[in-house]
Amino acid sequence: MNMLASIPGAMDAVITGTTLAQASAPAPMAASQLAHYLFVSAALFAIGLIGFLTRRNLIIMFLCTELMFQAAGVALIAFSRFHLNMTGQTFVIFILTVAAAEAAMALALVVLLFRRRESLNAEEFSEMKG
Amino acid sequence: MMLAVLILIPLAAAVMVAVAPASRARSIAMVGMLGVAAMTGYLLFSFDWEHTAAQQFALDEESSRLIGPLGVSVSMSVDSISMMLVALTALLGPICVAASKTAITERVKTYYAWMLVLQSAMLGVFCARDMIFFYTCFEFTLIPMYIMISLWGSTNRKKAAAKFFLYTFTGSVIALAGIVYVAWSYADRHGTWTFDADTLMRWSRSLPAATQGWVLGALLLGFAVKVPLFPFHTWLPLAHTEAPTAGSVILAGVLLKLGTYGLVRFAMPFAPAAFVTYSPAIAAVCVVGILYGGLICWVQTDVKKLVAYSSVAHLGFCVLGLASYNVMGVTGSILYMINHGLSTGALFLLIGMVYERYHTRSMKELGGLASKMPVWSTFMVFFAMASVGLPGLNGFVSEFMCLFGAFQASDQWGAGLWGTAAGQTPGATPGHLGAWVAAIAGTGMVVAAMYLLYMVGKVVWGPLVEPAGHSSHGADTHGHGSHGQGSHGHDTHEHGGLPRDLTGREIGVLVPLAALCIFLGVYPSPVIKALKDPVALTTDEVVNFGKARTAMPLVPPANVAPAGHQDNAGHASDAGQNDVSQHKETAR
Amino acid sequence: MGFMMTLSTILATLASPIAALAQSEPVHAAPQEAGHAAEQVAHAAAHVASKIEAIAAPGVGPLWLLLIPVLPLVGFVLSALCAAFRVKSKLPAWLTVLCLGASFAVTLAMYLQLSSGQIANPSVATGFEWIKVSWGLGDAHSMVANFGLYIDSLTCLWMLFVTGLATLIGLYASEYMAGDVGAGYCRFFAAFNLFVFSMSCLVMGDNLLLLYLGWEGVGLCSYLLIGYFYKKPSAVEAGKKAFIVNRIGDLGLALGLMLTAVHFDSIEYSVIFAKAQPYLTALSEGRLGDIPAVVQLIPVLLMIGAFGKSAQLPLYVWLPDAMEGPTPVSALIHAATMVTAGVYLIARTYPLFLLSETALPIVAWTGALTALLAATIGMAQFDIKRIMAYSTVSQLGYMFAGLGVLTSGGAAFHVFTHAFFKAMLFLSCGAVMHGFAGQLDLRKLSGVGSMPGWRVVGIAMLVGCLNLAGFPVITSGYWSKDMILGEAFANPHMVAIGWILLLTAGLTAYYTFRVYFRVFVGPKYFEPGDEVHGHGGDDHGSHGADAHGHGSHGTDAHGHKAHEEHGHAGHGHDAHAHFHPHAPGWAINTVLAILAIAAFAVIGLRFVGGHEGWVSGLIEHSSANYAGHAMYAAAASHGGEHAHATFFGYDAHTAMMYVSGVVGIVGILTAFVLHYVGRTTAAKSKADALLPLVGPLAKWAQGKWYVDELYNAIIRVPLLVLAHLFHLIDKAIVDGIVDLFGWVPKFTGSSLRPSQSGALHGYALSMAGGLAVLVLIVVMVMK
Repeated sequence: MNMLASIPGAMDAVITGTTLAQASAPAPMAASQLAHYLFVSAALFAIGLIGFLTRRNLIIMFLCTELMFQAAGVALIAFSRFHLNMTGQTFVIFILTVAAAEAAMALALVVLLFRRRESLNAEEFSEMKG
Repeated sequence: MMLAVLILIPLAAAVMVAVAPASRARSIAMVGMLGVAAMTGYLLFSFDWEHTAAQQFALDEESSRLIGPLGVSVSMSVDSISMMLVALTALLGPICVAASKTAITERVKTYYAWMLVLQSAMLGVFCARDMIFFYTCFEFTLIPMYIMISLWGSTNRKKAAAKFFLYTFTGSVIALAGIVYVAWSYADRHGTWTFDADTLMRWSRSLPAATQGWVLGALLLGFAVKVPLFPFHTWLPLAHTEAPTAGSVILAGVLLKLGTYGLVRFAMPFAPAAFVTYSPAIAAVCVVGILYGGLICWVQTDVKKLVAYSSVAHLGFCVLGLASYNVMGVTGSILYMINHGLSTGALFLLIGMVYERYHTRSMKELGGLASKMPVWSTFMVFFAMASVGLPGLNGFVSEFMCLFGAFQASDQWGAGLWGTAAGQTPGATPGHLGAWVAAIAGTGMVVAAMYLLYMVGKVVWGPLVEPAGHSSHGADTHGHGSHGQGSHGHDTHEHGGLPRDLTGREIGVLVPLAALCIFLGVYPSPVIKALKDPVALTTDEVVNFGKARTAMPLVPPANVAPAGHQDNAGHASDAGQNDVSQHKETAR
Repeated sequence: MGFMMTLSTILATLASPIAALAQSEPVHAAPQEAGHAAEQVAHAAAHVASKIEAIAAPGVGPLWLLLIPVLPLVGFVLSALCAAFRVKSKLPAWLTVLCLGASFAVTLAMYLQLSSGQIANPSVATGFEWIKVSWGLGDAHSMVANFGLYIDSLTCLWMLFVTGLATLIGLYASEYMAGDVGAGYCRFFAAFNLFVFSMSCLVMGDNLLLLYLGWEGVGLCSYLLIGYFYKKPSAVEAGKKAFIVNRIGDLGLALGLMLTAVHFDSIEYSVIFAKAQPYLTALSEGRLGDIPAVVQLIPVLLMIGAFGKSAQLPLYVWLPDAMEGPTPVSALIHAATMVTAGVYLIARTYPLFLLSETALPIVAWTGALTALLAATIGMAQFDIKRIMAYSTVSQLGYMFAGLGVLTSGGAAFHVFTHAFFKAMLFLSCGAVMHGFAGQLDLRKLSGVGSMPGWRVVGIAMLVGCLNLAGFPVITSGYWSKDMILGEAFANPHMVAIGWILLLTAGLTAYYTFRVYFRVFVGPKYFEPGDEVHGHGGDDHGSHGADAHGHGSHGTDAHGHKAHEEHGHAGHGHDAHAHFHPHAPGWAINTVLAILAIAAFAVIGLRFVGGHEGWVSGLIEHSSANYAGHAMYAAAASHGGEHAHATFFGYDAHTAMMYVSGVVGIVGILTAFVLHYVGRTTAAKSKADALLPLVGPLAKWAQGKWYVDELYNAIIRVPLLVLAHLFHLIDKAIVDGIVDLFGWVPKFTGSSLRPSQSGALHGYALSMAGGLAVLVLIVVMVMK
């Protein structure tokens, strides 16, 4: 409720049963404002990508993928706010859930891999060679 | 509904085999197979033999609909053609189970479960009246057979199984494309989808001749691989050689017949005009197959491979009968399907029995078994003769009818070639084959005698030859052993618990086949009579629609479905009748 | 269709004397003679019509006639049961003799009823529907093949000697095969019975398809019985050869059958003959052009089958090899009955043969040439059974020639007499073979007829040889051969054939008595063969000795060695102290005696019942001659003196009685001089001195003119090469293409494989690269 209340006009929309867009128009986000968010998102993504490509430690690499994931999340929220469409935000919540599950799974796999080779170096694992 | 039960019996038995302990697998499978046989017996009994062309025991399309918007259903029904093949399948089922007793000792549950599934799929093919259902069953036979070959086959089984699967699968996918095309063009015109065989058949034969050519080509490709017709036969010798005995029996006995059944049931009525046009080409392929396959048999050293190649030659005769599209040829062809299943199936059983004892199929290592296995040899000679086409046994009736069908089927008979008036050859029927084709194909009879007697001469007659390690202990020194009888008791429990000559079980497996071979050779009359109506229906469709279509502009009539040709009465392949129906057609 | 055209063109180029016979215009016919001729034509037409009427509406035969084929079938089943129950006695033989004897009795009853008119001639007795396929509007057309019997006097004639001889030879075999009592014995008699069943289907069937059933059935039995001693590779090969060569002929028969069915819309004799009526009428009126080529082709195809079964050129090669079978089989199947099936076929479908301009001349020429060829080979052989085999081929040639020169009665009479004397000859040879451990070489046997216990065999052999040689007046062979010879010379277009046959008659007399004078008279000498029978011999009595017994059929090393060491040292008795030729027992002797008497008795048949004898009388009342009469009437009416040629101014038939007798005696005397007079050893005779005179001919004849080798080289070997070639093609090309299709995806996959390094960073980099490219594209598109 608090989150909802913090968005101008959102409460009205809930009360009147109209959508957010139809409710009293919230202050539109300026395109320049959007650019800031997107910049953060792009930076996060680039950091994640570079980390993923350069590091060899499985856990670090995994964290880098998470970073890229979240970069996408930031961008989604920003666009959501920009277009005043809640789908983006809903989707991010969905992503968070999946990411949590996926993180649990991936870390378990990492542990298993470590047990097998006593190493977390990604280059150790290339059995899937064609 | 009864057909659904028929198909579900083996499936249910398969499930039971899967859950029951392995020691029970064989008996449950036997019960399942006998259940199918009993059900078939009941169906044969309650079949209306007065109206053999009528589709009976129907599970109609409405109540059996699976995918409504696409018109896919599991509708089933049988006429006498299907009934005969169902009977053949039901007969071979228990025989295969009985024949596997000593041959299959590992993974018995898997084996019998898949065999039952296979039985179900084969019955489904013969009962289906929905093209998608037909195709599903048709393809589903591949999986059990693939597993049977690749798990219980001989040394080269993986390759054989893969080739068998991929080759026939590729062919049938093309056939599916043909079926789907017909269904699509129907839906395109009528706005509703259906895969009902009769509806599509009626639609398809009204398509332009060129289109029909493509449809026929697609169907033919799929079925020809299955039959197999030359040059699509190379999977067969490999699969047969590697398959376990029961697998070979089913393969030769029923699976090959799926192809010929598909041809007579779907390819011919779906594209009559194209079938008429291309019948000489089909016949040519058959004739090549007969001689080519036969001659290759003659130089084989592996007995099983020889019999496998003989199937190529035999089914050449079978399809030749179809290509003549007259009552004689098509009836002969359907009889051929049954007869080939009986005699070649029995030959594979016999070879399997020897293989169990000697672990070889090479004619270099086997010879003169008559002195060691007189009972086996008697059966071998018997079934070889049935396969050669000796009159009085089953093979002859069908072979003769196929050849005679081809002989008759020529538009040139009495057409001035002899400078004589028309009507000089009242026994002739319309067609494009004639005496030449029959004469060349007839040399296949001589070739058949050559290779089968070569095999019999090597394996049954001649001085005794056994593979190293199986050389006779003592039996020969007993003098009269050379005539086969005295030695019986001496070497029991010598070969995997099997006595030298056949056991009661093995004789029991062969006797029903032998009895049927004699029956169908001496008194095929009731079967021929039973097949007559549906065959006449098919041939009339081919003749009438084939003629009508080529005589008409290549545009499908606006409102097709000439349903009038549903009834079976009064169809004729006469020239006069052709004209009549042609007029009818144009009038519409 | 085209091949028929070609065939008929080839055939048309051959001589067509019948056409000439029927069409030749009487150039000098006076008007009143023409009127007379017209009257005769009308008479002939009426005759044909009345015949047709009888044949087109056959009577209904009683069903007990079915017993004739069924009884041997019962015998077959019983013998098979004996095998199943491992009977180790002579039971199957007695069951066989009983069944076949009963069948003979029924046949006799059939003949009596037929001749007394209680059964209409012809009549049809239908057992059950075998194959019936109908088609067309309202099932207008159909092919019906019933299991039905067609009874006329031709059937009776054939069945009488088939069942009669089968009974006798069954009796003979009961003793002959005694060494094999047990499974082999049962097998032998089962096949024996099955043979008689098949033969009766062949002869009695009321349609061509049932004839075909019998035709191939006798082929099967022949295969099984030739290969009876299945451990001998030569026997197995011979059986196979017989079956395959016969199958080639059968193909011709099958095609002829189909053509008949297509043209006449039926394969039942009664229908065919009825539908052939217009053609026969046309023929008797000389309108040959009205007979379509389809009809003319039918007999040509049918005769291919006849050539195969009756061992005529070019398909005769199987019969000499068939002598690998037990002798009773050679006697019954390969001399008396089965090989006459071709003659029967032509006789049965004689009306169809008459309709063709070319068919009967081909038959005549084939027969004559076969007769001559086989006689020349027979002269040079040493194996007495093979000599008899070639004489059979030769005599069958006579029968075909007889049919070809339009004396179906003569041909049938020769079949009949030949059946008796040839069976007797074979059985005598068999007795020798049996007694002397498989010895058949005429250079290793001498004076057998005067050995103790061999008197009956010697006499039977003499009787048989006299008959085969055509010794004048007192032998039946003389009378039957004479009918054919006389007719050949009487026919102006067939005189050449007459001369060939006359020459053959001389050769026949020579080689027949060559055997007799070498083996049965002269100094006593023998060398036993290498096939020591365990049979009944006192010294081989126990079962323990069977290791050397009949079962093995291998080479008995012991006996063989003795043969090599002492073979020429002195008398057989000394060299083989342990070997005593065992003279035939009562069964063999009885049968030989009966046959010897019968061979004489059938002479009487020449002079009873009909102006040309009993057999001709029977033929005259069957399908084999009714149209022939019309032909004759027509021919006679068209040109009187053309129809009958003369032999140097004498009536051909009368002249032949003397000429052929003289030729026969000359042949016998030649053999007497060359092979009896002054012969002191078994191995050599005066004839050997004359051999250089004929140069390599003798060697070639001994090598059977290398026909087998020729066939092997031009047919079998190329086929074998082709088969191997196909096999290679199948593996390399046909299957290769399939494998190529399988190979394409496999190759593609394997060439792309290295790109999958398995390293995570590689994949990550390529993903990043891909992303970059994607972004770049998007950016560029946005621009």
